[in-house]
Amino acid sequence: MKKHYALTLFLASIVIVAFAAVAGSGSTSDLPAPPAIGTTLDDFKLPDADGAEHSLKSLTGKNGAVIIFIATKCPVSNAYNDRMEKLAQDYKAKGINVIGINSNNTEPAAEVKSHAGEKHLTFTILKDDGNKIADRLGATRTPEAYVIDAGGKLVYHGRIDNAQNTANITSNDLRDALDELVSGKQVSKTGGAAFGCTIKRVS
Amino acid sequence: MSGRLAIFVVSLVLGLSFGLAAFAQVAPANAARPNGQALPVYLDLKRLINCKPPPICVVTRLGGHPVYFCDHQVVEALPVAQPCFSFARPESNIREIDLEGLKKILQRDPKDTRPLLINFWATWCDGCREEFPDLVKIDNDYRDKINFVSITLDEITEIKTTVPAFLKAMKAQMPVVLLNVKDPEPAIHAVDATWDGALPATYLYDKDGKVVFKYFGAIKPAELRNAIDKQVGSKP
Repeated sequence: MKKHYALTLFLASIVIVAFAAVAGSGSTSDLPAPPAIGTTLDDFKLPDADGAEHSLKSLTGKNGAVIIFIATKCPVSNAYNDRMEKLAQDYKAKGINVIGINSNNTEPAAEVKSHAGEKHLTFTILKDDGNKIADRLGATRTPEAYVIDAGGKLVYHGRIDNAQNTANITSNDLRDALDELVSGKQVSKTGGAAFGCTIKRVS
Repeated sequence: MSGRLAIFVVSLVLGLSFGLAAFAQVAPANAARPNGQALPVYLDLKRLINCKPPPICVVTRLGGHPVYFCDHQVVEALPVAQPCFSFARPESNIREIDLEGLKKILQRDPKDTRPLLINFWATWCDGCREEFPDLVKIDNDYRDKINFVSITLDEITEIKTTVPAFLKAMKAQMPVVLLNVKDPEPAIHAVDATWDGALPATYLYDKDGKVVFKYFGAIKPAELRNAIDKQVGSKP
């Protein structure tokens, strides 16, 4: 009887301690952590807005790729449409392909397609239903960029530049990283933070 | 008698029309506006006369592009078919802060033992607009128990236009500051090394300045209220 009492007490104390730990930490956003710089990303497959499947590997250029999480409705992402398209044009010739991913559950594939047409986005845009790839890469906002080299190794993760308004750009972080990658140098600034819209995940 | 009634009705209609014309300034919905110019708040007159809650369409500007949101929805452009009227803008008492100002808020006054709630938002952010009514309610309920600072990341050109118009529409009374920094990165890192700048973001600090709750995206009000209740030791 005494043994049972001690066991019950022990289990109860574990439950209390576990509960206190959860309660004490407060409610935080349960966001997956992004892969560390230097990690080789696993290949994945996603459909484009027409339903055609593409793998990350098949879309990666001879020098690498830029994955950018984008949105149709986020004004910050939209402020970068022209810059992203120019980026895709400029670096295609340098062996780096831009890949857009839309993970917002509020923006269906048809909307992604019409948005790309209206905004003249010619790079491949994939639809990440269920935000599986956003979860895998720990992406939280739009726009948010990931640069991989030809072998799929992550060399940059963060913002495109420091300012939504082109007149205020003083730090072209993503382009700087791509230039270093193309010229075979190690990327010196591997990330950067900027304000953006939260990715609308499935609840 | 009927003649007098007719004169009264005609006078009333004319009076109302002139009154509204004096109060409102007609503006084309899709008019191009130069950068930095004060932007008006648009109200749907038909719905206003019917005394329904006014669906305010706010125009903001991002990277040189106009962004419209009406009834919490971002729209590409204001409906051209609807008459749009520019109302007098409310006077702004929103303070502009820089990185040092932000650090001062985060450092807190050591004599102040109340928990601190900080919400980062912008009028262009749909999640921010979605959660704002809940934050206004929380401010109303906990005003005498916690400090609450609302920090907007709108562009400085919006400090006397879109931002106060939005706050007025929300009936918000909490202190609001506009963070104006050329590079957002140092400010984001000053708040939280794990935050990458996704908006909205909400932080609750205890009396010692320790983060006891943080949430990225539109808050779940019950969760935030529970966290506040734990700090203040009671429900409002």
